[in-house]
Amino acid sequence: MSLHWDVVFDNWRIFLDGALLTILLTVTTMALAIPGGLLLAFLRLSPIRAVSLAAAAFVEFFRATPLLLQIYWVYYVLPAAFGIQLDQLTTAIVGLTCNVSAFNSETFRAGILSIREGQWNAGLALGMSRAQVMGRIVLPQAVMRVLPALASTWVSLFKDTSLVAIISVPELSYVSLKLRAETYRILEVLTAVAVIYWLLGYPQAKLVDWIHRRWKVVE
Amino acid sequence: MDINFQPLLDSWVFLLRAIGTTVLLSVLSMLVGFVVGVFVGALRTYGGRLVGALLAFYVDTMRAIPLLVVLVWMFFAFPILFGVRIDSMTAAVVALGLHLGAYVAEAIRAGLTSVRRGQMYAALALGMSRTQAIRTIILPQALIRMLPPLGSLFTIAIKDSAIASVIAVPELLRQSQTLAGQTFRPFEIYTSAMFVYFLLCYPVARGTDALYRRLSHLGSS
Amino acid sequence: MTHTPILAARDVRKRYGAVVALDGVSLDVERGEVVCLIGPSGSGKSTLLRCLNALETVDSGTVAFEGRDIRAKADDARLVRRRMGMVFQNFELFPHLSVLRNLTIGPTTVLRLDMAEAEQRARALLLRVGLIDKAMVHPSALSGGQQQRVAIARALAMEPALMLFDEPTSALDPETIGEVLAVMKGLADDGMTMVVVTHEMDFARRVADRVVVFDHGRIIEVGPPAQIFEAPHAARTRDFLSHLGWHGESIDIGIKEKT
Repeated sequence: MSLHWDVVFDNWRIFLDGALLTILLTVTTMALAIPGGLLLAFLRLSPIRAVSLAAAAFVEFFRATPLLLQIYWVYYVLPAAFGIQLDQLTTAIVGLTCNVSAFNSETFRAGILSIREGQWNAGLALGMSRAQVMGRIVLPQAVMRVLPALASTWVSLFKDTSLVAIISVPELSYVSLKLRAETYRILEVLTAVAVIYWLLGYPQAKLVDWIHRRWKVVE
Repeated sequence: MDINFQPLLDSWVFLLRAIGTTVLLSVLSMLVGFVVGVFVGALRTYGGRLVGALLAFYVDTMRAIPLLVVLVWMFFAFPILFGVRIDSMTAAVVALGLHLGAYVAEAIRAGLTSVRRGQMYAALALGMSRTQAIRTIILPQALIRMLPPLGSLFTIAIKDSAIASVIAVPELLRQSQTLAGQTFRPFEIYTSAMFVYFLLCYPVARGTDALYRRLSHLGSS
Repeated sequence: MTHTPILAARDVRKRYGAVVALDGVSLDVERGEVVCLIGPSGSGKSTLLRCLNALETVDSGTVAFEGRDIRAKADDARLVRRRMGMVFQNFELFPHLSVLRNLTIGPTTVLRLDMAEAEQRARALLLRVGLIDKAMVHPSALSGGQQQRVAIARALAMEPALMLFDEPTSALDPETIGEVLAVMKGLADDGMTMVVVTHEMDFARRVADRVVVFDHGRIIEVGPPAQIFEAPHAARTRDFLSHLGWHGESIDIGIKEKT
């Protein structure tokens, strides 16, 4: 077995572009899925039953089906059945955003529900206004509960962006699989992409651990 | 829009077999992930420094690298490196199991460390060895406490099994693609596949939650 | 034949970082003796107890049980613990096991008794602590006092030569303290060798053969209850007792009506 690692170094530009798109996909999706998740969470807590049920159905469905299939569905079913034609990158972002919004909404809902009524009463009893109680008592506590879960979702999302390779979005996985097919340096290319993901993902995983330790809920 | 489920019904044996493969793949990777996770979690909690550092590297690596990359590496690169042949189903079970195992290990470790120290003291005071104490006293409580996270990891295993379609394991998503290509009925086929996954995942999630509600008092010392 | 006490601690020292928990403690326990350890919180009583059955390693000094140094080999600690029962402040029953299984798990896994024999032994003990009707329930269904009685029975199921009690009533509601003390008094009356860390001064006064007073990791006074409670030699003993509201008179809690 002879290894030719120059195939990796000669094509560093391709890996770099792929990695940049992976990061862009992660950032864009999370930027959309935080408001998306908040919206779903508030819809789910809505007093109107039809609204809360619809939101619940959306959330449960996206949480209980494979992301890969969701991407396929957006890519193949929307154009065929509804005449909505999206380019690959948009398809990827729509699919990822729906998925991550569903997970975020559960995070936010748990955060909102976890603040006990006593905290509201304690704030009001001190003579604070409702806005002050919200801003100084309730929200900071909710953020503390939400942040660790959000951080974990972030890393999952970073890893899950690799799945949009199946609809030819040229992020890190796609460009590597393509390079593997073109050069036949299978072991070198696949090991290189694993190492690149590791270099990007490992610090994120450690950061998540730190956030979990730092913001650990103590009551 | 015309909707026609006829092609789907015509291929019900084909699809049923695909569902069977999805279930088999999920169960096997859960099994691998559970066994790996229990050993890694216990060794990281109670083992020595060196073992702990090595296993931490394994866990953090799996947390950092996408399952797709692990899977593709296992199927295409591993055989070249070691000069062995490996079929797609085996590669999928190993890759899914090792990936899941890292997350199970984290849950197990959290469960083990959450059991009060006094439980270990009480077991040792009866004359048990540390291994006996972990196996009969600490681990069962940790498993009960960790039922909800373990349950969601098992639904993740079902969902992640769809990624094995990339290396042509004839599971539900792969066979849906084949059928969609043949019949030009992506709406009916992919939508049905979604419902099947939902019907597989949802009961596992709710089932472990219900089990936890019944058993949680057994895990709180 | 030279006389050896069942348990002998010699100049035991133990520190946690900068905190000195035990500062040269020596104590002999004779067969059939009931020794109560009293003193302020954090004075080293519980640490000594955990050193006696090697749950805690000592920094220096020796502990010998039935003439065997418990630190000599790693396996010796297990052999010693089989012969020493221990009861904890927070009971530490195994929540995932039924009451009966809590009593049989030691004998079956450690002593390799067969299940039938272990259950027979367990039922006899549950009868003795008055909880035979609770054999099949899980610990979470029991009150604190009941849990502690089960914990005592669990330790007795190993048929120990000596029992260690680490503040066995400190985590209990006042109304259930009496039932636990009654079981302990019954054990003492049957001749069990017992080392008891306790804040129940009345129990110490009535049941102990010797009372050991701790302060700042040292033993400041040892003597029969009459001496410690009626005429203590050390000024700090007097301070400690008066701090608890003890002025020499007898206060009856629990034991009288239960026994």
